Amino acid sequence: MSAGKPNMGRKLSRKSSYVFENGQIPGYVHMIRQASRTSSMVSRTTDPEPRESYGSPRVSRLWKETRQPRTPATPEPPDVDERTPLLLGKTPKKPDTRSDEEAKAESVLADLRKELEMDSHKISLDELYTRLETNPENGLSNRQAELHQSKYGMNLLTPPKETPEWIKFARNLLGGFAILMWIGAFLCFAAFAVQNATKPDAPKDYLYLGIVLASVVLISGLFSYYQEAKSSRIMDSFKKLVPQHAQVIREGSQLSVCVTELAVGDVVELTYGDRIPADIRLIESFGLKVDNSALTGESEAVARSAECTHDNPLETKNLVFFSTSAIEGTGKGIVVNVGDKTLMGRIAGLASRLESSQTPIAREMDHFVHIISSVAIFFGVLFFIISVAMGYSWLDSAVFLIGIIVANVPEGLLATVTVCLALTAKRMASKNCLVKHLEAVETLGSVSVICSDKTGTLTQNKMSMSRMWYNGKMHAVERPDDPDNEGLSKIIVGDPEFMALATVARLCSRAHFKVGQVGIPDALREVVGDATESAILKRMETLLGNVEQYRFRNKKVCEIPFNSTNKYQASVHCNKSDCGSHFLLAMKGAPEKIIEQCSTILINGETKELDEQCKAEFKAAYEELGARGERVIGFCDYRLPPEEFPEGHLFNTENPEFMSFTFRFVGLISLIDPPRVNVPNAVRTCRSAGIKVVMVTGDHPLTAKAIARQVGIISPGNKTLDELAATQGVPVSDLDPSQVKVAVIHGSELIDMDEEELDAIIRNFDELVFARTSPQQKLQIVEGFQRQGTCVAVTGDGVNDSPALKKADIGISMGITGSDVSKEAADMILLDDNFASIVTGVEEGRLIFDNLKKCVFYTLTDNISELTPFFLFILARIPLPLGTISILCIDLGTDVVPAVSLAYEKGESDIMRRSPRNPLKDNLVTKQLISYAYGQIGMIESFAGMLTYFVIMSENGFLPLKLLGLRSQWDAQQINDLEDSFGQEWTYEQRKRLENTCSAAYFVSIVVCQWANLIISKTRRVSIFKKGMTNWVLNFALIFETALACVLIYTPGMDVALKMMPLRVHWWLPALPFAILIFVYDEIRRLIIRKFPGSWVEEEFYY
Amino acid sequence: MPKGKGDEGGFMKFLWNSDTGEFLGRTGSSWGKIIVFYIIFFAGLAAFFLLMLYIFFLTLDLQKPKWQMTNGLIGDNPGVGFRPQPDQDKNVDSTLIWFDRNRKENYEFWSKQLDEWFNEIPKEGGSDVTKCSFGAGGTDTYKDKNKKREQIASCFVDNKQFGECNPENKFGYRLGEPCILVKLNRIYAWEPIGFGLNGKQYNQANFPEIFSNELKELEKDIENNPQQGMKPMPLFLQEYIKKEVETQDHNPQWKTDFLNSVFISCEGENPADKENIGPISYYPHPYIPSYYFPFTNQRGYQSPFVMVQLKKPMPGVLINVECRAWARNINHNRPDRLGMVHFEIMID
Repeated sequence: MSAGKPNMGRKLSRKSSYVFENGQIPGYVHMIRQASRTSSMVSRTTDPEPRESYGSPRVSRLWKETRQPRTPATPEPPDVDERTPLLLGKTPKKPDTRSDEEAKAESVLADLRKELEMDSHKISLDELYTRLETNPENGLSNRQAELHQSKYGMNLLTPPKETPEWIKFARNLLGGFAILMWIGAFLCFAAFAVQNATKPDAPKDYLYLGIVLASVVLISGLFSYYQEAKSSRIMDSFKKLVPQHAQVIREGSQLSVCVTELAVGDVVELTYGDRIPADIRLIESFGLKVDNSALTGESEAVARSAECTHDNPLETKNLVFFSTSAIEGTGKGIVVNVGDKTLMGRIAGLASRLESSQTPIAREMDHFVHIISSVAIFFGVLFFIISVAMGYSWLDSAVFLIGIIVANVPEGLLATVTVCLALTAKRMASKNCLVKHLEAVETLGSVSVICSDKTGTLTQNKMSMSRMWYNGKMHAVERPDDPDNEGLSKIIVGDPEFMALATVARLCSRAHFKVGQVGIPDALREVVGDATESAILKRMETLLGNVEQYRFRNKKVCEIPFNSTNKYQASVHCNKSDCGSHFLLAMKGAPEKIIEQCSTILINGETKELDEQCKAEFKAAYEELGARGERVIGFCDYRLPPEEFPEGHLFNTENPEFMSFTFRFVGLISLIDPPRVNVPNAVRTCRSAGIKVVMVTGDHPLTAKAIARQVGIISPGNKTLDELAATQGVPVSDLDPSQVKVAVIHGSELIDMDEEELDAIIRNFDELVFARTSPQQKLQIVEGFQRQGTCVAVTGDGVNDSPALKKADIGISMGITGSDVSKEAADMILLDDNFASIVTGVEEGRLIFDNLKKCVFYTLTDNISELTPFFLFILARIPLPLGTISILCIDLGTDVVPAVSLAYEKGESDIMRRSPRNPLKDNLVTKQLISYAYGQIGMIESFAGMLTYFVIMSENGFLPLKLLGLRSQWDAQQINDLEDSFGQEWTYEQRKRLENTCSAAYFVSIVVCQWANLIISKTRRVSIFKKGMTNWVLNFALIFETALACVLIYTPGMDVALKMMPLRVHWWLPALPFAILIFVYDEIRRLIIRKFPGSWVEEEFYY
Repeated sequence: MPKGKGDEGGFMKFLWNSDTGEFLGRTGSSWGKIIVFYIIFFAGLAAFFLLMLYIFFLTLDLQKPKWQMTNGLIGDNPGVGFRPQPDQDKNVDSTLIWFDRNRKENYEFWSKQLDEWFNEIPKEGGSDVTKCSFGAGGTDTYKDKNKKREQIASCFVDNKQFGECNPENKFGYRLGEPCILVKLNRIYAWEPIGFGLNGKQYNQANFPEIFSNELKELEKDIENNPQQGMKPMPLFLQEYIKKEVETQDHNPQWKTDFLNSVFISCEGENPADKENIGPISYYPHPYIPSYYFPFTNQRGYQSPFVMVQLKKPMPGVLINVECRAWARNINHNRPDRLGMVHFEIMID
């Protein structure tokens, strides 16, 4: 796959999408049909035959009734005028105000949103050869191949254009608070320049401060850039660039060509095990079967042949698609599409062109930055005006502005948030959720809808035997204790009825174990053969053992292979019996075909006449299994009479004489791709967490519904409209649709819906299953949910899921089975492919949101205590109580580790029993949080700091009243003899030392108050005595914070470097009563919130 | 804090929502409640603060600073002050005395400051001041540290002793021979330690040796601290001290007290300034007598000072002047402006 990861974060720019070379789209690809109205992946009415060989009763009665009569599906003639984009509901040809390039990109996107339309599979082969200037024997000439390569492009997927690194870096330098900080730094430099110009020996304070501010922005920008780059590197580990080759006939000889060099018109030979190198029209097929699951989500391999069987390119048998794989057989075909024009290329292109929306946490952070910046600008401008009006000089006013900006901006917070997210990402990675970019960590916590793919996510993506019906009873093969299997009989190995069925199942099969697998558990042994036979073989091996040996003993002497007209497969085996027969005929196939061949049935060890009652029982069982979406196979056997078939009889396969007999029916076996073991639990957890789980699959509605029931996406008691109608015996039209809460929507129904109808469905039904959906429809569904304001997670592994993955608020791909394209499009990767891991993700996401809230509260609180000194400095004209450098020491020093430690807090209550947060109401930063942090706790801290300030000033000679209005003299350098309250006279430097000491003490008081603040931040509702102090990282942070404060003020030389002065021990004390006050005050607040839910206090002060 | 973004008029709606009667996102009663709450909250918090401040003040002696000299931040190295000072409102951070001797309203700005200073000096005979002199023991109370402030009278500063520097003469500004008042910063309980004494009483035999050793030590200090802008004691001051000490008129106690005084010297800062500054007179003498120390916030304490008169300064040029205070326990530090002061004079 491509070499880069699309930058999917909120930083994804419009410019990152690139222009599709529209002119190069081959003429025979008409991507112009209106919303592919007729082409669902499978259109029931036009499906001439069931997809699978044995003919499961897919076309069930139940399903039929749900369908509205609709116009027969005939392809509409390509009509350019009818072109309407599938989803946006707006015409692509708007009056063009934008640049051509943008408009072009948009129309490409609109094109990609439509479904594939082509005719290369419909036209005659000769026509195709002419069109592609090729012929089936000799292939292309080398020159032609080159020509076609330059005409149609190389067989490569264009990697999504990456944002240049310097732009990413620049964004980090200008995002968030950076602009404000730059303004601050600029003001510093300006202040220095002005001072420098007026005085020869101007103090360099502002120069230093400016440099510090600029470095802070640079360093935090570098830090977030590094974090971003680090998470985008995760993807590199997934890129396995194995060069692949394809067998091509060129100039009459067969050669092996690198896949990328494949040209349109090349004749390619396909063998089982190959990955299909391009979109190919088959001209020959020898039992070729392909696994289309990457494109369609269907787990079954489908047979492909040279005939055009369907107008829809996805349904016709003569097309195989790029990136799918050949499972069985061989074939030969002509390359009709390469690179970006292949089906897979189109989907990948669609995915990479979609802009994923901003993550919820990014929205929250933006909201928060917006608020804080507004506050900073408001106060800054207000005080600038006030100070100018009060007669301060412009320079002074600018200096105040710097102080206010620095005090207001939580410099360290964005980095802290990044660290918190990174920590959670790491924790999630250890729980098998790999997050591709940090912001996605929280997204999962906000998710209110999960659209899950079925195959490979909810299910194991492998067929396995589910039930056996023999002896007139239904038997559960696995997990007999499962509630789903209630009332079923257990299999008893050795029962003659079971053995008869097992014998046929073992013998009539072409699947076999790969050789050389000794000592590997049966379940893990690799099998050659189709999924159905493999599943039966494995199960038989587990139940009875030694299938190979048994087959060896009962040698196959004759075989009628399966074909789609007969829909059965039969084989004759040497098997001596008591009654003298030498041969046993074993036959399996579509149940209705098998039963037609039978006249007897094995019941209770006896062969009985197959009467009407038996037939009714059979029919009931068959329908029951069919309704479960399972694939059902019928089995029968027959002892060939020894008279006609003596030992050593030679059978004629061409015209088998034994087919004239009627056989004995032995039973049915049903198979299904079973749900993963812990998925039902995970779905239950999601539901209790208020998350709607919706299945969106490319698979059949019945299978989808059955799996949905098994995993709990449809709850046990709930019925769909048609099920309800069936039980009540009334037609569907008589029922009120609002009665039911469950709906299974077929992809072909979606095609006819407009946005409002889809929205209505999404709103009205609690339990939804979407089946037979195309990639574009998956996208449509995701967008439908997003229109409801919900935060949507999409899980999927196939290429077909990738547009939806990209569009979703959080796309979750599978680490093991996931295709590269889906991983590329996803935000998160489940390393163990297990849906249940999502629950962990949700939990971590919700926890981190709560903890980030605490973290923000903790950090914002001291903003106000940093701001108060400036207010008093300007308004009361007292000497500055807290210097700018000290503010930075708090914001970037002592506050950081405690804030990060809050990320380690455990949840307060069971966060998985809460509804997902409402993105409109439950913000990260609410007015309650601001009111409580700024208005209350922050104010207490301010008072603590001011008390400390007054204490130190008083103890050194300046009593509080003396300080009022003293500022201008205090700060005047030429006054070398400022008198204090005791008549002492202070030089400028002595005053500044005192001022710096006060600043250090104010800093210490904030640290002391932040002890209490950190402890109260641990909990928003429960008492701290209940919560406990078991977060050792936080406890360490308390000590670390204090130690750091000591280092900052007591290290020699800090008086010069940071203007910090050593403090007397008792100068730590004045803040203590306020710290205790904070603790007690918050305990009381939480007590009131707990005791009086819904009270005014909760409304106003619960953040 | 909802912000009006996205839909137009969102902010206006936030400002005043006529549907719900909400102003800035709150209804009237909601505003009422929250305002009442915050009034109570801040009243409570202010009360708590004042209580804490009150408790703290109980630990404070309002007669003297809690932390004195090196215990506090003022330290034990006094600065030096000068008057008159330039107009702060006009030019912050300026130390330039710039006047036009021919324009009365111009030079009176400077001389008036000294006038005021003189007027503030308590008159002789008041209950707050006594007349003090070296060796006389006349104010035997002034060094008694056990006495309370109320019981101590301050030493009297006689404003008649400043020669030409008097209000009538406009302190010399009229004639272009300005007087500058130089004083030492008050530091509670600070006392000068004199030269040539080794902390003891004056001894005629030891004095020359001790004095010259101390001067040598000073020179060593100057070498070791090149950044501080220290200078050796000016020769005229050395000569003056030696001369006074050698005079036979005074008794040893007088000499001890004399040597314990703080000496003052003023000089041009650079060679050119030294040339331009011309001769300098000190009134009444180039020292602040030791009996003014220590400062303990006595009643009627008036900062003692020396009047420095520039006898023939060069007009029309800017002259950098540096005045230093001399005592064994005064260190000179130019960047920190301790023990010295710098100003400029320009006469038009």
